[in-house]
Amino acid sequence: MKFFSAFRKKSPWVLHYNAGSCNGCDIEILAALGPKFDLERFGVINTGNPKQSDIFLVTGPVTYRSRERLVELYSQIPEPKVVVAVGSCTTTGGVFRGMYNVEDGIDRYIPVDVYVPGCAASPQLIIDALVKGLDVLEAKSKEIEHPFKLFGTIEMIGNKLSRLNMAKKVEQHEKN
Amino acid sequence: MEMVLTLFLLPVVASLFLVLSPNVRVQYVLSGAVLALLSITAFSLYNSPNILTFHFPQTLNTFVVAADIVLLLFFLYQGKKYDSPKVIILAIVQLVLFLYIEHASPGHSAQVVIDGLTKFTMEYSPSSTNSAEIVVDELSKFMFLIINIVGGIIVLYSVRYMEDEPVSPLKKQLFIGALLVFLSVMNLIVCANSLMLFFFLFEMTTLASYVLIAFRNDETSRANALKALWMNQIGGVVILLGALIAIKGFETVMLDTLMQRSGGWVLLSIALLAMAALVKGASIPFEGWLLGAMVAPTPVSAMLHSATMVKIAPYLILRLAPVIGSTAVGGMISIIGSLVFVAASYLALSRSVFKEILGYSTVALLGLMMALAAIGTKESIMLAMALMLFHALSKALLFLSAGVLERVHHAKNIEEMKGMVSRSPKTVGFIIFGFMSLTLPPFGLFMGKMFAIASVASLLHERPLLLIVVLSLIVGSALLVLLYFKVASALLASSSDVLPSQATPLPLGFGIPLWLLAFLTVGMAGGYIMMQQKMSVMVLALPLIFVILLPVIVRSMNGYDRSQPYHCGEKESFDSALVYYKPSHYMQQAMYWSFGILFISVAIFGALS
Amino acid sequence: MIWVWIAFAPILGGLAYGGERVLRARMQRRQGPPLLQPFYDMFKLLDKRTLIVHSPHALLAVAHFFILWFSIVAIFMGWNLLYIIFLHLFAQILLILAGYSVRSVYSHIGANRELLMLIAYEPILLLVAVGFYLESGSFEISEILQKGGYLTSMPLLFAALAMVIPIKVKKSPFDVGEAHQEIVGGVEIEYSGIFYEFLYMSRFLEYIFIYSFVFLFGGVSSWVGTVLVAGTFLAVNLVDNATARVKTADMLKIIYSIAMMLCIVNIAGIL
Repeated sequence: MKFFSAFRKKSPWVLHYNAGSCNGCDIEILAALGPKFDLERFGVINTGNPKQSDIFLVTGPVTYRSRERLVELYSQIPEPKVVVAVGSCTTTGGVFRGMYNVEDGIDRYIPVDVYVPGCAASPQLIIDALVKGLDVLEAKSKEIEHPFKLFGTIEMIGNKLSRLNMAKKVEQHEKN
Repeated sequence: MEMVLTLFLLPVVASLFLVLSPNVRVQYVLSGAVLALLSITAFSLYNSPNILTFHFPQTLNTFVVAADIVLLLFFLYQGKKYDSPKVIILAIVQLVLFLYIEHASPGHSAQVVIDGLTKFTMEYSPSSTNSAEIVVDELSKFMFLIINIVGGIIVLYSVRYMEDEPVSPLKKQLFIGALLVFLSVMNLIVCANSLMLFFFLFEMTTLASYVLIAFRNDETSRANALKALWMNQIGGVVILLGALIAIKGFETVMLDTLMQRSGGWVLLSIALLAMAALVKGASIPFEGWLLGAMVAPTPVSAMLHSATMVKIAPYLILRLAPVIGSTAVGGMISIIGSLVFVAASYLALSRSVFKEILGYSTVALLGLMMALAAIGTKESIMLAMALMLFHALSKALLFLSAGVLERVHHAKNIEEMKGMVSRSPKTVGFIIFGFMSLTLPPFGLFMGKMFAIASVASLLHERPLLLIVVLSLIVGSALLVLLYFKVASALLASSSDVLPSQATPLPLGFGIPLWLLAFLTVGMAGGYIMMQQKMSVMVLALPLIFVILLPVIVRSMNGYDRSQPYHCGEKESFDSALVYYKPSHYMQQAMYWSFGILFISVAIFGALS
Repeated sequence: MIWVWIAFAPILGGLAYGGERVLRARMQRRQGPPLLQPFYDMFKLLDKRTLIVHSPHALLAVAHFFILWFSIVAIFMGWNLLYIIFLHLFAQILLILAGYSVRSVYSHIGANRELLMLIAYEPILLLVAVGFYLESGSFEISEILQKGGYLTSMPLLFAALAMVIPIKVKKSPFDVGEAHQEIVGGVEIEYSGIFYEFLYMSRFLEYIFIYSFVFLFGGVSSWVGTVLVAGTFLAVNLVDNATARVKTADMLKIIYSIAMMLCIVNIAGIL
């Protein structure tokens, strides 16, 4: 409904996930949430729970071990949702690009709405990106958004839509 | 008159038929018919106003004496056979006391007086001029109601339960027959007025415990049965001591005559009887026998160790309440009872066997009932009676459900019951219902506790010591909530409802008794609410009605997506561990000793006042 | 008039919650969210897709909210204090059952803690009720409010009540039940969209519930009651900002050793 979508902008709740970051960007995100930069004035709450989140803040270049969780968390966020890739690693792979154990950015796996450059991304930039993400969020529909890779199935079981297998488990042979 | 005789004799006759009929269908019909007849009789008896009295003929009295001696000799033999010095010593003590009392008692050779209808020649002895061996009064009728309805349902259940027991068919029939005979014994004991008759029946219930706990005849069963035997024998000894004082001091063995006397050692005699109640009610430090009794087949646990037999304890205190109500003995009993309520609820938190948890909570609630009964005001007596009825219903329901889990799913330990709701939804539903009926409005047991808080609080100004009872009520109820819902945590965890169901159906032979008990619980709670003078109590029923109606109001939940629970992005599911709280060994010992001292101090207070 | 209050109870609680978030922010020298932030959150939650695990789990949250509201109705109507506490207990048990009904570790830990919190504060609330009974001769709120001077006769009971308020509104040092960075909200974890909304609103109702106990201490003078509520509100938030979370077992120990003793001493003093 139009009336309610106006409030998406006013209460963006955040899920923060570290996909193998060096913790630099994570520290900056926490700084942005803390008293000095006070993200809470936008209504932001760091929920830590995908099911109640609107904005997915991801840091890190997506290591092999973390991709499965990344996609699973993404598929557990109810639509409408926005993904913000925080930091150079997350957008392109950064200094880790091309290494055997990283995936060169999260947009190979899930659709990204806002990219934040910087190593580490500064709190000001993160706030800007969040505000940018709010516009995207307001415009989005409630249709289910799919990950690109490790995408399992969405089934209808007895009139019920099951997202249980939306993210696929990485098979053993794929790892090696 | 005929109705009372029906209650005494019908179970015995039915058990004879049952033992003779190997056909399971006949057993179902028979136990169903017994249940119907007994509950109708008990109910109509409950509604009839007059008090009935019976005198025993001399022959019957002699028979009781003889049977008692045989019984005590049997205990002695069992003690010798299984090499248990405690049983031997206590049996000898009982024998000596018993023979001494029989020797000292005035010759009572009263003839039969059956309700004034049939009159034989009578030869009254001075002591029993106006009191009979059997007196059926209000309290007895109320007990009949509990015993016959709940007991009857348990017998019906045990037919299906015994089908899967790996023993010979004859032993199965004997088992069900024994349960039926036990109903007669219970019906008799709640209207026994003669202390010697009461002692005999008390020992009969002890025998029933002993035999039925040892039913499976393995090592633990045998050890626990012997433990139950010697602990209950302590109860027998204190009854005999009480009777001895009654005979020596007042030349009577009739309870109602004794209670009318004053002065002398009368209070000591009564206090000793109350101590027997504490033993039978498995108050700490005697709770060991009831816990051990949980190795018995489930119908036994339900019938003897929760719903009916242990109710002798609050029954006895209720009987004595008019005398001990405002004395130090009554105060002592209510303090012990309320402390047991808290301590047993706390100890239960360390257990993981489902039936043991139920056993501990039975100990706790029996303590509460005794505490309320011993306060002795009209209101608190009514509350204790209400608690007794609702506890019998709820606990029978819980025990029978535990039996279903044991039989159908082979789960005894709550650790094995994780996620049981997806395997056996109905049984778990009954268990959760049972838990709710023990803790939440608008069910009877909850109501009883709530009114008890109000009622005891109103007495605080006159008897400040009752603050202990109020505190224990409040804290103990909270601990019981913790206990029950901790168990619920193991049962309830279930995966998403789009996954295929793994439920196994509930056999009809188990289903019918459970449904009966559930309906009775709801119906009686409704009746209890209606009985209250204040109609505002009814608002407490609204939440439950709302919860039941909610799935009807919200017809379909198909519009919402089903998703995996959150596991930090992992795909595997995890189960969380259950929590246990265990007091340290030192603390436990301290607790046992202090309860032991409190137990003995009941007699000391009786002797001093 | 009273029905208007009852109908707007969640809104009142929402304002209290919003005001609290502002207050807390100001105590940390930051701007904080707008006062109406809780309502923005509510409207947003209505606009989200809803994920559930299974329907009983979702429905129990709805039941929890409405029964909690019903206990607030009972408070405003001036009913028996014991009924109110036990209606609240019922609502709380439904939430705990909901937490246990899913196969989720955080939800189970949260429900365990919720249960322990329940057994920590419920005895204190009941003892406060007994205290009111001994002073005023009745458990009915309408009759309790006819008299005054509760604060002078039962100051220790008030202190005990003040100790359990942080448990109920989930504030430090007793916010173990929610503990967002530790167990991600506990029982709330598997809820989203409209069903989370019900839990979010029941938090507003908890504010009304627990602070109305504080209000009772004002007795006949609603002015004193209001001052007490405002003072306690400030103090609870100050403590929240100034303390760290204690462990669940420590919380129980603190409540049972200090708050319980305060209650007993005070009640024994009244007798």
